[in-house]
Amino acid sequence: MIMSLLSGEPTNSLEWTIFLAGKYSAMFLQGTYLTLYTAVIGTIVGFVLGYLIGVIQDMTINPGDNVVKKILVRVLKWISSVYVEVFRDTPMIVQAMIIYYGLRQANVEMTPVFAGILVTVLNTGAYMAETVRAGIGSIDIGQREGAFAMGMSPMKTMFYVVLPQAFKNIIPEMANTFLTNLKMTSVLNVIAVQELFMAAKTAGGNYYKYFESYLVIALIYFVLCFVFNKLFILIEKRMQGSEDYALAVEYMDNQ
Amino acid sequence: MSEKILSIKDLGKSFGNHEVLRRIDIEVNKGEVICIVGSSGSGKSTLLRCINRLEKQTRGQIFYHDKEVRDVQKEINDYRSKVGMVFQSFNLFNNMTVLENCMLCTRKVLHISKEEAFDRAITHLKEVGMAPYINAKPSMLSGGQKQRVAIARALCMNPEILLFDEPTSALDPEMVGEVLAVMKELATTGLTMIIVTHEMAFARDVSTRTIFMDNGYVAEDAAPEILFSNPKNARTREFLSRYLAG
Repeated sequence: MIMSLLSGEPTNSLEWTIFLAGKYSAMFLQGTYLTLYTAVIGTIVGFVLGYLIGVIQDMTINPGDNVVKKILVRVLKWISSVYVEVFRDTPMIVQAMIIYYGLRQANVEMTPVFAGILVTVLNTGAYMAETVRAGIGSIDIGQREGAFAMGMSPMKTMFYVVLPQAFKNIIPEMANTFLTNLKMTSVLNVIAVQELFMAAKTAGGNYYKYFESYLVIALIYFVLCFVFNKLFILIEKRMQGSEDYALAVEYMDNQ
Repeated sequence: MSEKILSIKDLGKSFGNHEVLRRIDIEVNKGEVICIVGSSGSGKSTLLRCINRLEKQTRGQIFYHDKEVRDVQKEINDYRSKVGMVFQSFNLFNNMTVLENCMLCTRKVLHISKEEAFDRAITHLKEVGMAPYINAKPSMLSGGQKQRVAIARALCMNPEILLFDEPTSALDPEMVGEVLAVMKELATTGLTMIIVTHEMAFARDVSTRTIFMDNGYVAEDAAPEILFSNPKNARTREFLSRYLAG
């Protein structure tokens, strides 16, 4: 088997897989890099967008508030609910086509990678908004009332009391979203982002060995997701914090 | 009488068709310790929550130092920073330690320095005997300890009035004692307090004025020695006799 590999004549699927992985290693590496790059930036910015939308959707107005605030909050809420609805109800692959070609028709020039990240951000934001909303809802109302009762504004309460707790509760869902994104970047090949799927298509096409070529990237996707999954579990455990506390001995006489 | 802090005028609150509060008129003067008693569902907690604006009243007004507290977030926030509240379910911030719980609102609402916030927190935690636990998270404390921290947290804001919404109802009998002791101590400092409670002996001993609520009305509003020994209202008599017998 080794011999046949050296002579450049793969004879079975396993050999072809190894052959393709070796021959196109630079392309696969570049694809891995772009996949990671798009997924990481897209997810992080998407999370920020999702938190923003989630918080907007939670805003309330008082009857006595001034008109500008009332209108602003209503408009923001309307825009965010339309956005969430549109992006959750259409496939990402279609969004990619429409955004990339649509903006090009409008003479907005952008690289495929930038368009790819934009699509990932918008898609993630819409899903995250719902996750954040659920996360906020999972926090006992008493937590807010405790802060309100001492004069904290709804925004400060959200920022210091509710979101830190909601964040902890939705870490598993955030990990899920990232892993989904890592794999969903594969659809971005339709707008010519040179990510892993594109690399496999190109490599496989040169030798008509698609099965073997996609096997290579399946393995890469698997390893990436596996590693990140373990990483997230570690982070989640870290966030649990210690179950222990040190008594402040300097005040021990005060029981 | 002394300085009037709070006056509640013609306050009403309905949840849908259900009228929980009907025409409540109460005036609160500086230094008063008012206990509100009455059966469950009589509107005691709703009244307290309306006073802190956690519930929006459907009728009537609340005046703080003769100035109406309007339905504007800024005014509500300023008002609440002067009118503290202690809850039945403690409502300590679960993501923070005891010390952080006591420092958050003084820092973010009153904007005092870190050093001053720390000093205030320690002072009031000492008052309730919880200073050794500054590094603990709420989940590691017992109910009585949590409630004592919640009281210290409210005191850090230097409130003019402190509202207590059944502060001992979620506690077992042993812990009730430690919380009531702290509140008794507070009552002697001259702090104005409104306390919704089912602890009749406490109400009789500590309050300067007791209000009996029934079916959304203030049925009787009198000094405790009168209300508990010689109630004028038939419902008050009925309620108290059941309480003292049961």
